[in-house]
Amino acid sequence: MTFVAILLVAVAVGVVGSMLGIGGGLMLVPILTLFLGVPMKTAIGCSLVSVIATSSAAQIVYVGRGTTHTRLGMTLEVTTTLGALAGGVTAVLISGRVLQGLFAAILVWAAYSMMGRGRDAEAALTGRLDTSFVTPDGAEVAYGVRHFPLGMAASFVAGNVSGLLGVGGGVVKVPVMNLVMRVPLRAAIATSNFMIGVTAATSAAVYFGRGLIEPRVAVPTALGILVGAQVGPRVAARTPVARLRLIFQVVLVVLAVQMVWKAVSG
Amino acid sequence: MEGDERRVSKAVQWTLGVGLSVSALLMLAGLAGSLAAGRRLPKAVLEPGAAFGQAVHLHAAGLLSLGLLVLVLTPFLRVAGTLVVFLRQHDWRYTAVTAVVLTVMIVSLFVGQA
Repeated sequence: MTFVAILLVAVAVGVVGSMLGIGGGLMLVPILTLFLGVPMKTAIGCSLVSVIATSSAAQIVYVGRGTTHTRLGMTLEVTTTLGALAGGVTAVLISGRVLQGLFAAILVWAAYSMMGRGRDAEAALTGRLDTSFVTPDGAEVAYGVRHFPLGMAASFVAGNVSGLLGVGGGVVKVPVMNLVMRVPLRAAIATSNFMIGVTAATSAAVYFGRGLIEPRVAVPTALGILVGAQVGPRVAARTPVARLRLIFQVVLVVLAVQMVWKAVSG
Repeated sequence: MEGDERRVSKAVQWTLGVGLSVSALLMLAGLAGSLAAGRRLPKAVLEPGAAFGQAVHLHAAGLLSLGLLVLVLTPFLRVAGTLVVFLRQHDWRYTAVTAVVLTVMIVSLFVGQA
């Protein structure tokens, strides 16, 4: 019974996560712990497995359309990882509550900025990491990356802070690429989806090595996600960019509220 | 450049497709085995060596653990595959960038905290 419940939840999380370029841990961990009685540590291990499944299954679709910017993703992966490694320093410098508050403010700012523009980041070649992808209606979008150094700095901060706050990277990576580097939203989502899989794989392997992954929960989650994450990119392709952006803004605001609540109660 | 990108995509799709199919098949076989034996799913994964040994003998617990292990290792394969593609394209800058990513992934395996 629980098996079927986990499987169904995972399908839904896989669809939403792969549509937005986020891991889905934000949704999965609370559902597993609060409603299905799964212990926290098991839920986290399971969430890592689910991020890998979301990323890998969705990438088959995104890479096929050329939406994933592999070179950009690899580059940002380096800065994000360096940021995460430097997390300890930040933890000493800034108190957890202040960090949560600042983070919430940035999330709200990102949600607002995404709203401020009527259109997606205007695609234009910049001579830096120029590439192109094909949109669902068959048009080819050629674009390059803008504000490269600023984007690198932002992803360093993102990697630094997200680890400390226990937030997966996707919610931060998509706005950094879209707002700072002016990467079209669809490409930002696909590239973030690629990166979160790489980041989660390392942690998941460590969890696996210590026997902290429970097949009882992880197997139905993985199988459900593998199905959901094949569907998500196809649903995203039929969803207008404006609506994708709106859904993403809602996620940002919900996360900001959650952060404020943690800062106040915690 | 255009043809290069397409080759990168094909290689990546192939790697992910194989990794995920193998993983899903192992997990489904493990599930079928557990159902047939009327057993509940295990509470912990086996260590990699034991998982492989048991999976070879078609024991459900081994198949389930190995399926999860293959899933977890799929992104490693993907990054390694991308490294090979960049290397073949003589794209030294991104060969180096990807090598850094892969190195960090592997080093974290040994020093990582759960």
